[in-house]
Amino acid sequence: MKRYAYYMSCINESMTKEVDRSIDFWQKDLGLEFVKLHEGTCCGGSNLDYVSPKHFALVNARNIALAEKMGLDLIVSCNTCLMTIRTAKKKLDETPALKKEVNDILKKEGLEYRGTSEVRHLLWVLVDDVGLDTIKAKVTVPLKNYRIAPFYGCHILRPSTVLGRDNPLAPSSLDQLIEALGGQTIPFEHKNRCCGFHTLLVAEEESLNVAAEALEEAINSKADFIVTPCPLCHTVLDGYQSKALKQAHIDSSIPVFHISEMVGLALGYTAKQLGIKRHIVC
Amino acid sequence: MTEIIDQHQEGKRDVTFRVFRFNPQVDSKPYFDDYTISAERGITVLRSLNYIKEHVDATLSFRAFCQAGICGSCGMRVNGISKLACTSQVWDELDKCREPGIIRVEPLRSLPMIKDLIVDMDPLVDKMTRYSNWIDSTMPLADMGKKEFLISEEEFQRYDKATDCILCASCVSECSILRANKEYVSPAVLLKSYRMNVDSRDGIHDLRLAELVKDHGVWDCTHCYRCQESCVKSIPIMEAIHAIREDALESRGPRDTSGAKHAEAFMEDIEKKGKLVEATLPIRTNGVVWTLRNLLPMAMKMIVKRRTPPPPPLVKSAKGIKVFRAMFREMTEHVKQDHLKSHKK
Repeated sequence: MKRYAYYMSCINESMTKEVDRSIDFWQKDLGLEFVKLHEGTCCGGSNLDYVSPKHFALVNARNIALAEKMGLDLIVSCNTCLMTIRTAKKKLDETPALKKEVNDILKKEGLEYRGTSEVRHLLWVLVDDVGLDTIKAKVTVPLKNYRIAPFYGCHILRPSTVLGRDNPLAPSSLDQLIEALGGQTIPFEHKNRCCGFHTLLVAEEESLNVAAEALEEAINSKADFIVTPCPLCHTVLDGYQSKALKQAHIDSSIPVFHISEMVGLALGYTAKQLGIKRHIVC
Repeated sequence: MTEIIDQHQEGKRDVTFRVFRFNPQVDSKPYFDDYTISAERGITVLRSLNYIKEHVDATLSFRAFCQAGICGSCGMRVNGISKLACTSQVWDELDKCREPGIIRVEPLRSLPMIKDLIVDMDPLVDKMTRYSNWIDSTMPLADMGKKEFLISEEEFQRYDKATDCILCASCVSECSILRANKEYVSPAVLLKSYRMNVDSRDGIHDLRLAELVKDHGVWDCTHCYRCQESCVKSIPIMEAIHAIREDALESRGPRDTSGAKHAEAFMEDIEKKGKLVEATLPIRTNGVVWTLRNLLPMAMKMIVKRRTPPPPPLVKSAKGIKVFRAMFREMTEHVKQDHLKSHKK
């Protein structure tokens, strides 16, 4: 059994509960054990870093230190949380004075940020640690006959100086996972583009234009569904889908799955168990 | 196949350039022309285009000047990515072709097309003007030309990297928001504004910042990092954008714009609960009227699907929130001390 500390993203505890719920179904099947970090706090969602760079460093040093205390790597299932926590880690590792300042405060909780735990995405654990061959062997309901559009989202790819797992111009990890589950990936220009999430409340029209472009390509490519490793991308592409397509004068729709649901389906769990019925577009 | 490998080893092979063509005076719509030339290892995309123009088709139009990655004239999309033709090696591009052996060359996006690979840079120049992207010197007129206007090494470090920008517009072409709305300020302009705003010799920081926080300004950036990733000079453009936001929050306060309010909400929630209170985020960002008008239909659907975020009292605080809050507030004191020190300076 491979053990990891599991970071609980705010959105997965509110709007996209199905992400963690589906992971709970299949983690043991794939020899994984995710220990939930109930003490973990919001990473700052790609905003705290400029609102207050020092609080940003403190909060995420603590998130990582909680995992380090257990001697485990920190696994994240939201792209933005991943990018944000890894950005903080890079800053802490490169700035000894900041690390010291933060650690002087963390002492109060008996914590210390050392920089020993890696911060990684669930997708990377599946592809790199479990491995594609093991996943293939565990599949009971292959996703054959499904044409799947892989939407990576931004913060699992960019900035590549912080992420570094996939080539941001030609990512492949999600494509590999889809194929290991028996699905067919389609060529998808928008696979490494943006969903528009981070400006939904500030520049809604622009955000929806960005989302509509990706949705339109997936629809025109006759994909059966889109899959994304990020609950924020999912929220835009699923929750805001009808609004985005209406704005772009497109009369159609397409389901959007989380990777955790796609894995669950291929391992034999039902759409109802995995929470897929909770999506706005089913 | 053997022939191709032999050619590859010899360092010379036939390469096809599939080039975007459009002359608005003649053509009703754009099309692509294929040019196949014998290219040597080490040749750049720009040198290939020069060869095509000189030997194959003199009507092909593109902009270029220094041929050495300095002037920024030859920005174009090569195999779909905005970059400089003069620093792009044909051999490297061959590994990235969607169709083997065919390199696609297209004009930059999000700028009006003039002809073939040439785009109109005027909208970018106009935005540079709108955001006053020059130094409005605080030196008294009488001293001009007589005295040096020195800056510290520390200050120079803050914008050293930003001054590397050669205005090639690759970031402009890759920007997600600009693609969605041409009014958007654009990354190159934000980078330049940042550079001017941190310069102590400049006297119009407040004026520039006031313009930057308006609609289509700094708060519209969606953090996609495409600008930074495509920058031919590896400038951390997002850091500059974030720095403008940090400055806006400090200089203009957290209640100034919806963007500022949205950002500040993260700070408040983390301090209070350690978790984001998503249910009230739209109201705190844009007010009740906007939220009802824009989000009510979707909220109804979400209620039906039981995926609405919980109301504030039901958002569970992170475990150990009391100790966390004390630490968070201790850091607030550190930040206050930092500000006092920097103001003394």
